[in-house]
Amino acid sequence: MNLKQKALLKSLWVFHMSTGSCNNCDIEIIDCLTPRHDIERFGMVLVGSIKHADVLLVTGSVTRKCIPRIKRIYEQMPKPGFVVAMGECSLSRGMYINSYNCPLPLDKVIPVDVYVPGCPPRPEAMIAGIVKLIEKIKATSEGKK
Amino acid sequence: MTPLEILKDLTDRFKQDIVGVFEKSPKRIYIEIKKEALVRVVLHVFRELGARFNTASGVDVRDHMEMLYHFTFDKIDAVFTFRIKLDKSNLEIDSLTPYFEGANWIERETTEVLGITFKNHPDMRRLLLPEDWPEGVYPLRRDYKEWDKNAIRDRGV
Amino acid sequence: MSDILYLIIYGFVVTALVGFLASWFERKITARLQYRVGPPLLQPVYDIVKLLGKETLVPFGVSKATFLSAPLLGLASVALVSTLLWVNTLNPGKTFIGDLVVVLYLLTIPSMSMMIGGFASRNPLASLGASREMKLILSYELPFLLAVFVPVIKGGFSIKLGELLSFQAQNGVFGGGASGVLAFVVAILCVQAKIGFVPFDVAEAETEISGGLLIEYSGSSLAIFKVMKNMLLCTLPLFLIVIFFGGLRFDGINALYSLLKYIGILFLIIVIKNTNPRVRIDHAVRFFWGPVMVLAILAVVLAFKGL
Repeated sequence: MNLKQKALLKSLWVFHMSTGSCNNCDIEIIDCLTPRHDIERFGMVLVGSIKHADVLLVTGSVTRKCIPRIKRIYEQMPKPGFVVAMGECSLSRGMYINSYNCPLPLDKVIPVDVYVPGCPPRPEAMIAGIVKLIEKIKATSEGKK
Repeated sequence: MTPLEILKDLTDRFKQDIVGVFEKSPKRIYIEIKKEALVRVVLHVFRELGARFNTASGVDVRDHMEMLYHFTFDKIDAVFTFRIKLDKSNLEIDSLTPYFEGANWIERETTEVLGITFKNHPDMRRLLLPEDWPEGVYPLRRDYKEWDKNAIRDRGV
Repeated sequence: MSDILYLIIYGFVVTALVGFLASWFERKITARLQYRVGPPLLQPVYDIVKLLGKETLVPFGVSKATFLSAPLLGLASVALVSTLLWVNTLNPGKTFIGDLVVVLYLLTIPSMSMMIGGFASRNPLASLGASREMKLILSYELPFLLAVFVPVIKGGFSIKLGELLSFQAQNGVFGGGASGVLAFVVAILCVQAKIGFVPFDVAEAETEISGGLLIEYSGSSLAIFKVMKNMLLCTLPLFLIVIFFGGLRFDGINALYSLLKYIGILFLIIVIKNTNPRVRIDHAVRFFWGPVMVLAILAVVLAFKGL
C-alpha cells in the first residue's frame, strides 16, 4: 500500500447529506464527535463543502426531488471518494417502502460502498462501518496489485 | 369565557348553519357547519371572539371528504374545530387565504395532494410534489394506485 | 547564493515544519479542552499528503489562471515574510532599512489571496465569504499598524527590524510598560483575525456558508491553502515575538525562554479560540473600529509620552 493510500486512510474527511430524513441519523452523526466516541483521533473531520470531502455520508430515504441532486453531489466529489449509506432509510427505504415519494433505494442511484443498518445506528455501529470501509479500501488495493 | 359559553354563543348566532356538535372533551369541540357558511363563521370567531387560526387539514373518509379548520383560544386552552363535509363529486370550497396569510401554503398542499380546489386562491402552484408528477393523480387519497413503472418496491431479500 | 538557501531552508522548510507542529498542537489542545483525545502527531502531514493525491476540480467558466494562482500568491508572500524574520533572528546585520514596512506590506497578502480565490470561484456562497473577508481586512489593518507603530516609537523611530532587536537586547523588551501591554493586546486580536480563527473566522464559516471562500477548491490547490495557513501559524507569532519580546535566541538558557515565548503566544491564541463563539461580521467590524481602535490610539499616545 503506497503513501497515497496510507495518507487517505488516516485522514478521511466526511461530508454529510440528508435526502429527506427525520434527522435522527443526523443527530447520531454529531454524536460520534463527542468525547465518548471521539472520531477525530482517527483524523476524521466533518467538512462543509463536498469538494473537500472523501466520504459522502447519506441519510434519509431518497425522495423524488432529491434524485438529480444527489447524483450531482456525487459527481462533484473529487475521486478517490466513497459513499456510506447510513440508517434504514437509505439502505432500502425502511418503513417508507410503499411510499409515493420514494421510488428507488440509494444504491440504484449512486454506487454505495458501505451500508450501516440501524434506525438510528448507534455510534459504535458507525465506527464499525468505518472500520469495514478502511478494510475494504485496503483489500481492493491489495487485490489490484 | 369558558368553552361552553363560546359554544352557546356560536350556536345562538349561527343556528341554521350548524349541523352538528361533538364534544370530544371539555376543551376540544368539533362543530360541523355547512359549506356556504364557512367564511362567515370563521371571521366571527377570529375577529369578535379572539381565536387564533392554528391549521387546516383535509381527510379522505371513504365515502366523502372532510375539511377541518382548527381554531384555538389560547387564554382558556380550548381548541375548536370546524368540520365541513365535501361530496366526492363536488370538491370545491372557499379559500381562506384573503383573510389568513397562513392558509396559503396549507391550501396549496391540500390541492395537490388530495384534490380539493379552493376558490379565490391567489397563487395556486405546486408546492411539494416534483414538477414531473402527472396531473390528476392525488397521492393521499384512499384509492391511489402506483403509476410509476420504474419504482422498485421489494427489498431484494 | 546563500540568500536563496535562506529562502528555501528557512522560509519554506523550517516554517512549514514548525507550522505543522503548531497546527497539531492547536488541534490537540482544543481536543483536550473539550475532554477528548486529539489526533496523532503526524495528522497535518497526513492531511496535506492526502489532499495532494486527490483530483483538482476547476469550476466551469472560471478563469483558470486566477483560480489556480491565488493560493501560490499567498504561499509565496508567507515564505518571503518568514525568510525576512528568520534572517533577522539568525543574522541581524544582514538586512536592509525598511524591512519592517516590507513585512507589514507582505502580511496583508495571504488574506487577500484567499479573497481573490473566493471571488474567482463563480459561486454565490464563495463571493459572500470573500466579501466578509474584505470587510474584515478593512477593519483590522489600521489597529494592527498602530499597534506595530508603538515599538517603532519606543525604539527611537527606526524601521529596521535588526535595530529594534538590538535596542531590545540593551534596554529591555518593548512589551513592558503600559503602552507595550496595550499594543500587545491589540496585536493579538488582529493576529487572531489574520489567521482566521474563531471568534473572527466569519469568512470561512463552515456549515454556515458551506466552507465560505474555499468552497470550490479541492485537491492540490486546497493543500496549498492549508499549508499557507499552517505557515501563518508559525510566522505571525514569530513576528510578534520579534517586535514585542526581543526575538528568538538560541544560546544557552535563552533557547528555553524563546521556546516558552513561542508556546505562550500560541497557547494564548488557542485559548481565545476555544472560549469564544463566532461573531457576526457587523459585530466584528464594530469591534475593530470601536474599542480596539481606542486602545491602539491610547497605546500610541502613551508611547509618545514615554510610558
